[in-house]
Amino acid sequence: MKIETIKIEPTVEEKVFTVSEFLDFLNELISPCYAIVQGEVGEKINSYPNYIFFNILDDQGSVLRCFAWREVIESLGIEIEPGMEIRVLGYPEIRKDRGELKFQVQKIELLGEGILKKQYEILKKKLTALGYFDSERKKPIPRFCEKIGLITSKVGRGALKDFLANIGNFGFQIFFFEVKVEGSFAIYEIKEAIEWFNQNLPDLDVLVLIRGGGDWESLRPFNTEEIVKAIVSSKIPIICGIGHEDDETLADLASDLRASTPTHAAKILNESWKKAKGNIFEIEKNLNILFLQTFKGVKEKIDSFQKDFTEKIEKEILTKQKRIKELIENLNLHFTNYFQEFKFLEKEFVQNFLKIKSLIWQENLKIDRFLKELIKNQKIWEKKIKEKLEQEKEKLSLSNPILKLKQGYSITFDEEGKIIKNPEKLKISQKIKTKFYKGQVISKVTEIEKNDTRKI
Amino acid sequence: MTQEKFNFTKAYQEIEEINKWFQKEEIDLDEALKKYERGMELIEKCKKRLKEVENKFEEIKKKYSIE
Repeated sequence: MKIETIKIEPTVEEKVFTVSEFLDFLNELISPCYAIVQGEVGEKINSYPNYIFFNILDDQGSVLRCFAWREVIESLGIEIEPGMEIRVLGYPEIRKDRGELKFQVQKIELLGEGILKKQYEILKKKLTALGYFDSERKKPIPRFCEKIGLITSKVGRGALKDFLANIGNFGFQIFFFEVKVEGSFAIYEIKEAIEWFNQNLPDLDVLVLIRGGGDWESLRPFNTEEIVKAIVSSKIPIICGIGHEDDETLADLASDLRASTPTHAAKILNESWKKAKGNIFEIEKNLNILFLQTFKGVKEKIDSFQKDFTEKIEKEILTKQKRIKELIENLNLHFTNYFQEFKFLEKEFVQNFLKIKSLIWQENLKIDRFLKELIKNQKIWEKKIKEKLEQEKEKLSLSNPILKLKQGYSITFDEEGKIIKNPEKLKISQKIKTKFYKGQVISKVTEIEKNDTRKI
Repeated sequence: MTQEKFNFTKAYQEIEEINKWFQKEEIDLDEALKKYERGMELIEKCKKRLKEVENKFEEIKKKYSIE
């Protein structure tokens, strides 16, 4: 902290100010005097909805009038009470309406372990209720962090030294942002660092916020609402390693991963790399084995398939061969039967043929004999036929027309020699011929009488 | 950065996935060959990365001052 001494040069020229002008002039001079002032809270506290007035005193009876906006008290977590030992952070200003000096308080810090613990508990409860420590809110830390934003102090109890001594050589890229980790300005610097990394190196894998061990008062910046909010609003995940193992600050609770100490933070970052370094050869070996096994398995499958296939084909061929053999045997048997049958038929045929031949021969003989007989009996037959013919001749002669003529009948012919049976066909003067038993006459038709023959 | 930067985390994870994949029952041979080649390529890259032991340390020079 630095309090500038203000030297007011004696006014050479007589300048007359109005009251306002003079107070403005004074305020311009004194308001840049940022300061941290420690004292005990006085009895009289004027609390308003949006702001608060109170005094801080020291054992010499000096009084500093303080003004604070309500949000300053709210971020404190608890109300200030008379008798509390506090530090106020801010700047002086003269109230123009009253002509009084007031200290414009921007931040209040509580002193004494008892009150700090009380404040811690109250803030923890409040921020827990607001969900700042919820596990769902926590960002995952990449498995292998390579780019690290380191936020800590160069001085102090060796957090930086511890971290760097323990972070293994795994090719980390460490971007170091130096901040104060103690005192009233620490909060601002840490906030600034977190924001700077988020804005300028957003591709960092992780931010590491560390600080060595200390008492409650020295860890105070890490137990403030501001730090909790800054950690939660960071897009880059944050590992916090603050104090000793037993120190659980609000920053630790808000962080995405809590390391108990700076050394532990380094070891967390080493862990996966260490394992990977050890495992990569194992993994390579495993992959090779798995790959070979896969191919071996496939080869075995192919071999067994091939074997199966060959066996199947061979079996199939054998079955087919057997079938063909059977078929041939069957055919042979059938053909043999057929041939035998055929032979039998042939034999039968030959026998039958001989029979027929003999029959024909016998018939021939019969015919021959018959013919000989016939020739032998020719004369007898001739005589018999002659006699028969005579008999027939006689029979025939009985129906001869000559006989009729002999009996006195006659036959009339026309000129062409046709026998006339119906005179109606004749014409007058036509010549007709009439035959008698002995001789004939030719006459002319003079008259034709139609007569019914049946009437005669 | 024209070429895609080698990401150790992703590569390591992929290698582990490939190893896991190879432990399946049914494996496609073409796929296996591809996965194996990919795995070996990544392992080589990871090994190379793991050999880089030197850490780089850079201090941010801040311009701001609250005092």
